[in-house]
Order: sequence, then C-alpha cells, then structure tokens
Amino acid sequence: MSTDAVLTVEGLTVHYGARRRRRRVLHDVSLSITPGETVGVIGETGSGKSTLARAVLGLVRASGGSIVVDGEEAVGYGPRQWRALRRRGVIQYVFQDPLRSLDPDLTVADSLAEPLLVQGVPRAEAAGRVRAFLDRVRLTEDLLDRLPGELSGGQRQRVAVARALVTDPRLVILDEPVSALDSANRVQVLQILKELRDDGVALVFISHDLGSVAGVADRIAVLYRGELAETGAARDVIAAPQHPYTRLLVRSAPTLHSAPADRAERDALRALLHT
Amino acid sequence: MVRRVLALPTGRTAVAILAVIALLAVLGPWLAPQDPLATSGNTLGAACGSHWLGTDYLGRDVLSRLLDGSRVSVLGSLEVALTALVVGVVPGILSVYLGRAFEWITLRLTDTLVALPFLLFAVAVVALLGNGITQAMLVTGVLVSPLFYRVSRAATLAVARSPYVEAALISGASLGWVVRRHVWVKVLPPIAVALAQTVGVGFVIVSSLTFLGIGVQPPAPTWGGLLASDLGYLSQRPWAPLAPALLIVVTVWACNLLADAIRDVSGEAGRALLNSRKARANRRDQADPAPAGGA
Amino acid sequence: MSPLSEKLRTPADSTLAQSVLSVRDVRISDQAHGREIVHGVSFDLTPGRTVGIVGESGSGKTLTCRAALGILPAHFEVTGGAIELDGRDITGLSAAEWTGLRGSTISAVFQDPASYLNPSIRVGAQVAEVIRVKKKVGRREARGQTIELLHAVHLRDPELVYGQYTYELSGGMLQRVLIAAAIAAGPRVLIADEATTALDVTVQAEILDLLADLRDRTGLALVVVSHDLAVVAQLCDEVLVLRQGEVVEQGPTHEVLHRPRHEYTRLLIAEHEQYGLDRFLTPEEDL
Repeated sequence: MSTDAVLTVEGLTVHYGARRRRRRVLHDVSLSITPGETVGVIGETGSGKSTLARAVLGLVRASGGSIVVDGEEAVGYGPRQWRALRRRGVIQYVFQDPLRSLDPDLTVADSLAEPLLVQGVPRAEAAGRVRAFLDRVRLTEDLLDRLPGELSGGQRQRVAVARALVTDPRLVILDEPVSALDSANRVQVLQILKELRDDGVALVFISHDLGSVAGVADRIAVLYRGELAETGAARDVIAAPQHPYTRLLVRSAPTLHSAPADRAERDALRALLHT
Repeated sequence: MVRRVLALPTGRTAVAILAVIALLAVLGPWLAPQDPLATSGNTLGAACGSHWLGTDYLGRDVLSRLLDGSRVSVLGSLEVALTALVVGVVPGILSVYLGRAFEWITLRLTDTLVALPFLLFAVAVVALLGNGITQAMLVTGVLVSPLFYRVSRAATLAVARSPYVEAALISGASLGWVVRRHVWVKVLPPIAVALAQTVGVGFVIVSSLTFLGIGVQPPAPTWGGLLASDLGYLSQRPWAPLAPALLIVVTVWACNLLADAIRDVSGEAGRALLNSRKARANRRDQADPAPAGGA
Repeated sequence: MSPLSEKLRTPADSTLAQSVLSVRDVRISDQAHGREIVHGVSFDLTPGRTVGIVGESGSGKTLTCRAALGILPAHFEVTGGAIELDGRDITGLSAAEWTGLRGSTISAVFQDPASYLNPSIRVGAQVAEVIRVKKKVGRREARGQTIELLHAVHLRDPELVYGQYTYELSGGMLQRVLIAAAIAAGPRVLIADEATTALDVTVQAEILDLLADLRDRTGLALVVVSHDLAVVAQLCDEVLVLRQGEVVEQGPTHEVLHRPRHEYTRLLIAEHEQYGLDRFLTPEEDL
C-alpha cells in the first residue's frame, strides 16, 4: 500500500441488521486509491458495492477492518468525528439519481453552495466560489436560479457532479454517474471527470456495468456477493478475467461487435456461478 | 415563503381576513358599544338602532358580546394550535432522528392520547390544574397533538432517507442543518393544513367545554358559547345563530385558504406553479419537449 | 419441440416471407399542440427477425411502438402512413378488435416490470389470468400452462415463482414473468421497449439471451427498443436510429455499425469505442 493514498480500506467487513437477522454484506474488502487514480468498483445489485461507498463515507458502520481517509483511521469514529471529517470535504459522493439527490426546493445556486456553507464559508464567498466553478462543469450562470426540476437530465447530473467538487475534494465517489444519461451528455460528463483526474483528484466509479467504466478506469475491482472477486489493471481484468463472475461480466456487457457465440459461454458461466 | 403566499390571490385574501379577525381580537372589548354582561328587559329583541344584532335571552347586546368574546375565542384557538405544534410537531420531526427509544416512547404516548376519552381527560386536567380557559385549551391542544405528531412524522420520514438529505450529511451537515434546510419546508405544508383544521375545531371545542362549565364560565361571552345559547332559542329568533356562526365559518375558511396557499407555494409544485404563471407568456412560443416521446 | 413452440409459429412456417408487422412512413402528431413528433418511420418485420430502434428519450421510439400496439397516449394520433399487423391495416380498428389483437398477435414488455404487476396478487395467478382470458381455458389448465411458460422464460423454479409476490422477486425475474405473460397467447410480434434498461448488466444479458432464444425457437418477431446502440446490436438484424422523430440512419445492423453515414450514429459508435469495452476487445471478434 502506498503511503500517499487518499483512501485505504483494509479487511473491511460490514453487517446489516441485528442479532438473528444479522447479515454480512461486505467481507474482508481491501482497496487503496492514490491521487489521480480512477478505480472502477463493479458489482451487481446486492454485491455490496454501494455499502462499500457508504462505509467509506461513514453512513454505515463497519464491523471490522480499517478505513483510512486522508491519513485518519475512521473506523470507530462517532457521529461527531465523522461529521468533522466529512466537513473537511476530502471525500465527496455523487448519487446515482441526480434528480433525487438535489433538494427539489432549493435552487441550483443553493444546492451548489451547501457543502461550503456547511463548512462555515460565509454566504457571499460561497456564492462567489460557486460562480467561479461553473465553467469547469460546463454550466452557465443563468441556471443558478433554476430548480432541479427545471433542468435537463444532463444539466442535473453536471450540477450533482459540481456539488461534489466545490469543496476541492481529493476523492470523489460516483455511483453510476453516466448510466442515466444519453450519449452526448455521457461523453460530456466523462470528459469533465477526465479533466478532474488530470488535476490529481482520485475517482471511484461504482457501476454494475463493466462497459460503462472500462474506458475511464485505471484499475477495476469486482465485488461479488460481498467479497472482492478480482482486482487489477482495467486492461488485464477485461482482457483476461480470472473469476468466473468477472468473465460473465465481460461477456454480458453489450458491445457493438460481440458475436452471438457468447451466448453459450454466458450460459456455461451462469451455470457455474449458480451451483 | 411569506412573499410567495402573498403573491397568490387566495393567500392575500386569507391574510386580509385573518388580519381583520386579529384586529377584532385585540380591539374587540373596546369596540363593544355596550357592556356585554349588562342585562335588560328587552329579551330576544330584534335588530334595531341601539342593538344592531338584537339582544339575547337575558336582554344582552349580541354585537357587544360577539366583539367582547372574540379575544377569548381567538386566543383560545391559537393556544390550541400552539400547544399542538409544540407537543405534536417537534416530537414528530425528532422521532425520526433521535433514535429508537425516543421513537418508541413518543409513538406509544400518542397512541395513549388517541385512546383517552376526551371529556374525561379534560375534566381530570381541569380538576388538577384548576378551571380556566388556558387550562382547557391546553388540554385540547394536547389531545389534538397526535394528529400533528403523525403528520409531521410522516412528512419527515418521507424526506429523511432521500438522497439529498444524505448528500447534505455527507458534506458534514448537522441534524439541525438538515431539519432547517431540507426537512422543514416539506413538513410545513401538511402541518399548515392540519393547523387550519384545528383552529376551526378549536372554536367548537371551546363552546362544547363551555357547555360543561369547563374553561369559560357562562356569563363571559365566546363565539362558540353564543352559538350554543342562540341555538336554544331558534323558535323565537331563527336568524340569531347566523352572526356567531358566520364569524366562525369565515375564520375557519380563511385558515383553510391560507393553508391551501402555503401548500400551493411550497415544494416544487408550488415553485413550478408560480414560475409557470410568470413565464407562461414568454414560453408560449417556445416548444416543450415531447411529453411521451421516448422512454 | 416444447408445447410452447407449437402454439407459436416455427421459423419454417410458410409465412416466413410475409411480414407480421409492417410500418410504412408512419407519422405521429401531438394534437394538443398541433406538432408532428414522429416524422415518418418505416420498417418490415417477418417472423424470426428482429428490428432495433435506437434513440434518446424524446426521440419518438416509444411513440412508434405504442402506435403499433394501439395505445398512443391521449392527444397523440397517427397522422400519416400505415401500420399493418399480420396483414391487417390497423387504422379504424375498434377497441374490441384491438383487445383481440393485443396479446395474441402483438405484445410488449416495458421498462420497470414491477409497475405492470399487482403487488397483492401472486405473480403466477396474474399470468394465468391472461391465459384464461385469452385462451378461454379452465383454472387448472391455465395454471399448468403458466408453469410451462415460466419454465420457458428460464425461471429456475417455476412452481415456487408461481406462488410468489412481486416484492419477493428481483427485477430480472419480474421481467421474465412479464415476458411469460406477453407470450402467453402466442403473439407473432413482441415489442421490448427498454425492457432491460433498469437491470444489472448480467441480468440484461440474460433477458436479451432469452429473447433471442424465444425468437430462434418459435419464430417470434422482435422489436427491440433501446437508448443503447450496443444492446440493439446484440440481437437485431436491422437497426433504425431515431433522433427527434427523424430516422437518421436505417439498415442492416452490420452495415450501420461499420459504415455509419449519419454523424449522430457515428457519435453513438465512437462513444462505445472510446469509453466502452470495445476498446479492449480484439477486432477479430466481430467477424
């Protein structure tokens, strides 16, 4: 593990529920992210990929392991310590559904300024910083007075991304950042994220679709049933997947030129995974 | 919020009516042309120059009694509403945030309040705290508080787990921030509607308690009390209940109007409504995207 | 041959050359605003073939499908061209005639399968109801046929699924149940409108494989609608690219993918090549 990592997760285990209904949703997951690196965390619904993100943000409690954020061991933190850590704005999160992750009653300007206001930045200064920021995410000033409901899907996603960036985070976790967008907007958002990465920000893409992050991720971590099935350089994971689930993922991602012969291979992999 | 309510014609009407009623409540006793308690031989008299609304069964001037009673009636209703707000809304919102124990206790307490027979509870509290309009209204407020608890809890629950609240938490926002900034606006409209209903119910409860000798003592006039006593002499003066009834109806109606206005302007629907009014003209020629053109 | 495929036509059927769904220069207008939304869509679908429609939301792809199903939303009307279903012009069909056609000639599955099922009725009973109404068979017979259908859509334990409620099933399983209901009365055409959009990518592949399998086994003709060109590329013989109600590109899938003529199609392809898996896959694979 490199020492300058923005985030280091080691042996992370998370349980949901209490006593007899206690379920393990994440088991012994280790992951480290350095500045300027983009990691794709891939897994199906219920694989624990969202839980991983929520644990790193302190929204769910880890039952074991270690989470080191910005040099601070955060497992065992109480609500107050978590709040102080989050307030520094080191890690930010972009929700899957930008419409629901923006308060419908707040204007774009208010939503964007919120993380700064929470940090205690004076209102006028926050507004100024928001304004100065718009350009980077291809938003225009006339959108500031609008409500989320009055924006297009692409604009909304860019506002959601912008909201996560105003605090100059070192790590941004994005949950399915482009799956709801159409092609033109998807390319635009991915372009913005690429520039961000070039500025040294670490990115984590969470997705069920290997294909949607293949072109942007340096490394890929595949979660399957709460455990890390496979991790490695994107090229290696895609070209030579080791775990059967990863193989199924690669074979399932729709590509323009995949042959129908894949069908038989997929069936074989499914049979293998379900036994 | 205030400005947006006033931008609506209904909001303006409601605020105007309520302002007049508040004025009545403040100035009522001085405006009363005669002593509201003074009896005369002219019982159940028709409206005339000296008694604009006639006299009641003891020959007291009805107009004076209405004006004099307005303060107690309005203050009573306000007290009911305020008590319900404090006892109902605050725990209702907090029950979502303060953990399992608090949630369980407040839920069971509201269940208990709902199960209590109203009159029995009222009599018991009055026996304990002494008889008076304040005590009676306090009781009423506590008894209607479960409604407020439920309404505010439901509204809070609906936003508590929304991604934008989590987004605020992830930015390091405190619970107080979340409630002030995100929850309150969504909880307010349903509470306003419940509040408007409660004010109306308050008048009626004041009068029914008066009937039992709880709260306001008989010679002192209230709107509800006037309505109740007038109803006893319908055969002699069929039009008499009109004046107090009208006052109650207009007040309740104004409260409901205000609640509707608050509901209309809050939330995204409200903003859209106002915006569409403002922008309808300049957007008319600008084509909207097809509503059902694709998935 | 399973009993299911006997109910449907086999690809060897003599009607192979005859189109089951023929859409000719169809135009759809929003009567409330007096605007034309779809400006002429044409395609021909024969048994066992698949047509794909690609476009963003608002491109008119869903409206086109709804027109073929006779379920256009209020104020929307077909204002030009013709749609023929199994050789029959659909203009002027009565509601009763539509009811007869839907399910037994043309059928559809959509995004968000849960919203098409009643959460308080067992899913099996809901599929059985379709069979009872459409085929006029008894309860016991309908149940047997439903189990068969649930098996045909590759649900692992049909008997168990029959007695379950929507909340007990995953999105992929619900979509399978809906596909079972859609093919219950042996339609000739099945429209899959963004039917896999909300699903995990592995589940999406399962559903797409299932559709391909049904098509190959029973000669069902498919219309696959998606915003994702790659999804359509998986199983379609012909592709239409729709943009703002206009068909900007149309042709055999292979042609469109390799020699896109319109700039928008090129954007769709470039996006996949730049950001998708295609970048890592060897070019030999597409031969």
